[in-house]
Amino acid sequence: MRKLTRHPAAAAMAAALLLLSAACGGSGSDGGKVTLTVATFGEFGYQPLFEQYEKDHPGIEIRSRVTDFDTHFKTLSTQLAAGRGAADVVAVEEQQLPTYLQVKDKFVNLADYGAEGLKDRWAPWKWAQGTKDGYVMGLGTDMGSLAMCYRRDYFEQAGLPTDREAVAALMPTWADYAELAGRFTAKLPKIKFADSAGTVYTAMLNQSPENYFSAKDDSYIADRNPSVHDAFYLAGGLAAAHQTAAVTTYTPAWNVAIKQGSFATIACPAWLLTQIKEAGGDAVRGKWDVTTVPGNSGNQGGSFLTVPKQSEHPREAYDLARWLTAPEQEKRLFLSDGILPSEPAVYQDPQIIAHTDEYFSNAPIGQLYAASANQLRPNYRGLHDADVRPEFGKALGRIEDGSQNVGQAWADALKMGSEAIK
Amino acid sequence: MGKRGSFVARLDRKATPFLFIAPFFAVFAVFGVFPLLYTTWVSLHDWDLLAGNRGGFGFANYVELFGDPRFYNALVNTVGIFLLAAVPEFFLALGFAELLNRKLRGSTWWQTGVLVPNVVSVVAVGVVFTQLYGRDFGVVNEVLGWFGVPPVNWQAGRWSSHLAVASMVMWRWTGYNALIYLAAMQAVPQDLYEAAELDGASRWRTFWSVTVPGIRPAIAFTAVAGTVNGLQLFAEPQLFDAGGGGTGGNDRQFQTLAMYLYEKGFTKFDAGYAAALSWVVFLVCVVFAVVNYRLVRRFVSSP
Repeated sequence: MRKLTRHPAAAAMAAALLLLSAACGGSGSDGGKVTLTVATFGEFGYQPLFEQYEKDHPGIEIRSRVTDFDTHFKTLSTQLAAGRGAADVVAVEEQQLPTYLQVKDKFVNLADYGAEGLKDRWAPWKWAQGTKDGYVMGLGTDMGSLAMCYRRDYFEQAGLPTDREAVAALMPTWADYAELAGRFTAKLPKIKFADSAGTVYTAMLNQSPENYFSAKDDSYIADRNPSVHDAFYLAGGLAAAHQTAAVTTYTPAWNVAIKQGSFATIACPAWLLTQIKEAGGDAVRGKWDVTTVPGNSGNQGGSFLTVPKQSEHPREAYDLARWLTAPEQEKRLFLSDGILPSEPAVYQDPQIIAHTDEYFSNAPIGQLYAASANQLRPNYRGLHDADVRPEFGKALGRIEDGSQNVGQAWADALKMGSEAIK
Repeated sequence: MGKRGSFVARLDRKATPFLFIAPFFAVFAVFGVFPLLYTTWVSLHDWDLLAGNRGGFGFANYVELFGDPRFYNALVNTVGIFLLAAVPEFFLALGFAELLNRKLRGSTWWQTGVLVPNVVSVVAVGVVFTQLYGRDFGVVNEVLGWFGVPPVNWQAGRWSSHLAVASMVMWRWTGYNALIYLAAMQAVPQDLYEAAELDGASRWRTFWSVTVPGIRPAIAFTAVAGTVNGLQLFAEPQLFDAGGGGTGGNDRQFQTLAMYLYEKGFTKFDAGYAAALSWVVFLVCVVFAVVNYRLVRRFVSSP
């Protein structure tokens, strides 16, 4: 100690060295085990699966990295740009997939490890979404076929039928849904019919094979695709009539609205059921029910597991991704967390067909979502979908906050939409 | 030490001070100078965050930036929120400092107390305030309702959103500034106060003519630091924009420069444009800091 104080230069040098070595510190030793990191957004329900996989593969240690949707993709983009830091297995949502397919050389071509042989596991459109020109970018996890969640108690108070079949029969189309909203509001003016115009709009649009871009040549067709126009005007009409609670899904305000029972219906992909449960808690247990969505089906959300090229253990990462997306595991995830498999074989499973959910008035959700999934037609996204989509959402938001009428918002959305792809 | 004329000792005396400050400069070079230069390089190219350099050396990004209405919108929002927050913050902080400077029971407790908002994580502040300003179930609207004011959709309007965000900024920084003023106030010579008392000056007059000029360097410091903080405002409005995808509301009514930079760089992956924007933000900060510093010098005369 004394020596050091007499020659402070040495101390300073040591401090500087320490600082530098700390800054450059890499990953520590892993004791001969291969450590695989799995990055997902939101809860994929993987924890018990990881534990089993580690038990079956003693040489593998799995680390889970869970963040929210936005953070996940911003972090991933930064990691890809920087060339380091990405997890070994990374979940990519279908909406983001086109963006990453443009830089597919930053990901491992899973075909190199024999992924082509697994092709028949998935619904053909799901497989096609994750591949490009023979490049297998990701293995499908879940998909988001739609149903309609509704509050039984509110329907009863409004003098409407409460039975699943009867409710479904009331609204075979979205026009019927809007008409029902009118009847509901007349009886219960304080309760909103839908959570937000955006949810209705998205659900409708997801039933159309094309949205903003042409499936043929990826050209911008929002201004002449009748599906976009119709969905916008119907959802915008609900907003203008104050029949929406104007809360964006997953926001804190939305959570409060679920708990307080601010709205009566919400188009719900399978993965949304968990979110409703979490937001509602015991306060609304047994008050929700699930039935068929107007227009029968539609795809909303669904992810893929990818392996970035940065991974030091691509072979092991692929094996893990393959195992996580295998039918047995997808079935387990549906039963435990309501995550809907993207593999048709699973829907034939008697356990799935018989699955009901106590929280949602014992709705036969296995049967409902399997039927919806069977009717599902995928829709084409387009490379710049993620740029254009928010502009239409914001336009609907302007109707909800009363700053524009439907016509103005539509004109604005078209203008902003075409500007966004310039 | 004694008289040791050895080479080592001489070297020690000369080199040691530099070695002690060297770590800062080493860190600054790595995390300051290098990013600065790299940002310049990126800003002069068509640079995609994922795909990397796509060529095109020149000022194209800057030209596009100066013709971009969204840039000016963000600039106006940033300056608007900054002024809405900074002006009341300045007077409040002075007031708090003056109160804290009196002989109080438990003064340490009070002095620590005013710093608490600054220590609390900005994320927590953002989340809590966003709840307070909730349209349907927010406390602020509830209280306004007692006075017959209809509920305000705080996020929807330009002014209402600016006010809400400014209130978060004030909450965070008022106490911090007050403590800096307080520290400076305690160094103002006591005899000036005695002279003022002999002259029969009122408390108010003493405050403006003795205290405020006496802490001029502190005020200048907070003006510059506050400007830099204010113009880089990001976390509060970003969190306030729940579910809006970081554009600061449906009409970008409270999108700040930093939020726009983030949107361009990490949502649209246009790294070149974002780099150009960050340089422009830097220049804006410099200009505002100089202007504010001048204002302080001009209006707060020395004692």
